[in-house]
Amino acid sequence: MKQTKHFGAALAVTMALVAPAWAQSPAPAKPAKDPAAIAALDSMAAYLRTLKAFQVESATTTDEVLSNGQQVTYSAKTMILAEMPSKLFATVSSDRNERTYVYDGKNFTLVARRVGYYATVPAPATLRELDDVLSEKYGIEIPLADLFRWGGPNWSNADITAAADAGPGEVDGVTCQHYLFRQEGSDWQIWIQKGAYPLPRKLVITTTSDPARPQHSAVFKWNLAPSYNAEAFTFTPSANVSRIPMAEAK
Amino acid sequence: MTRLAKSSSAIVMALLIGALGTASVHADRNRARTSVNRSKSVKVDSSRRTNVDIDRNRDIDIDRNRDIDIDRDVDIDIDRDRDIDVDIDRYGCCYHSGWGTAAAITTALVVGSVVNTLPPNCTTVVVNGFAYRQCGSTWYQPQFYGSRTTYLVVNPPR
Repeated sequence: MKQTKHFGAALAVTMALVAPAWAQSPAPAKPAKDPAAIAALDSMAAYLRTLKAFQVESATTTDEVLSNGQQVTYSAKTMILAEMPSKLFATVSSDRNERTYVYDGKNFTLVARRVGYYATVPAPATLRELDDVLSEKYGIEIPLADLFRWGGPNWSNADITAAADAGPGEVDGVTCQHYLFRQEGSDWQIWIQKGAYPLPRKLVITTTSDPARPQHSAVFKWNLAPSYNAEAFTFTPSANVSRIPMAEAK
Repeated sequence: MTRLAKSSSAIVMALLIGALGTASVHADRNRARTSVNRSKSVKVDSSRRTNVDIDRNRDIDIDRNRDIDIDRDVDIDIDRDRDIDVDIDRYGCCYHSGWGTAAAITTALVVGSVVNTLPPNCTTVVVNGFAYRQCGSTWYQPQFYGSRTTYLVVNPPR
């Protein structure tokens, strides 16, 4: 550890010496990728994948950029109950509508409760693949999908171009460490719980590919021992809903 | 009723005029990313899902812009009230809401066009297990378009 610090100090000196050359160059200095921040993300991702079942409640806000450049922020309350890797029950209640997502590893159903419609389509075998199929084929996003994508197959931190530790931070009374990451199209911040259970407690994503830089934020409340039965993941239509198709993305 | 018709057509005119006035001002409309782990297709997805403007652009080209004009001028309202409208609609109370204007417009809708809201006084008919809405002589197939519900104008299914 001490050696690392010395190395860091030596690096800083070297960088300071090199800095004048950079100043003359039109290209900006490459942002640092703090190995400790990457390691924290990795350990959070690995820890998430040890969870067999979890329930998360989240308050989210999502910006939309209107055609005149003005932003409108929508709020939603989301609940997901996931049994990894292939079962999900989720509800999203927003200012605009309510949606229920039901997935049993074979079929996926989307329910619009207020208007009384549902659509069911055949689904792939895992939540991660389901999120791929739904977003690519149908333009549907599974809520809080990052929670089962981090640390999963094909996941890596390779897309991250900058990483930094922003210091301690508290989320809902939980002591966290606050990290900053940058990747193509997004700057994002995450608050990871300190200690033996490195859970993500808050996520803020800034879309940098849009000049208006709209943001999405989510605060997560975790239940690592949810009580449920298997029927939670199977959709049985009630008399109040009728079936409609799910249009494929063009 | 006459009074309603008058106010409806006044609103329709206002919508059309408003539409003409802003037709060249629009740009792509986008939503913040909600995941840092999805593949690139998501960006397309998220804009498509919420981008009423893109829909409008496409539709103007093929000359069925009338219903889309509604979308543009009340973009925000439609987003916010989409589900509530239909709920209200169920209880048959839309007279005061201004959404009656949709009825005036949708009578001339072409099969294949898509609207976000229905005129009042529609009935639900289930054909081959799928729900349709019949509004006067026009039939709609409700569908999920992304996670939004939209209504596709179809030929009578039976």
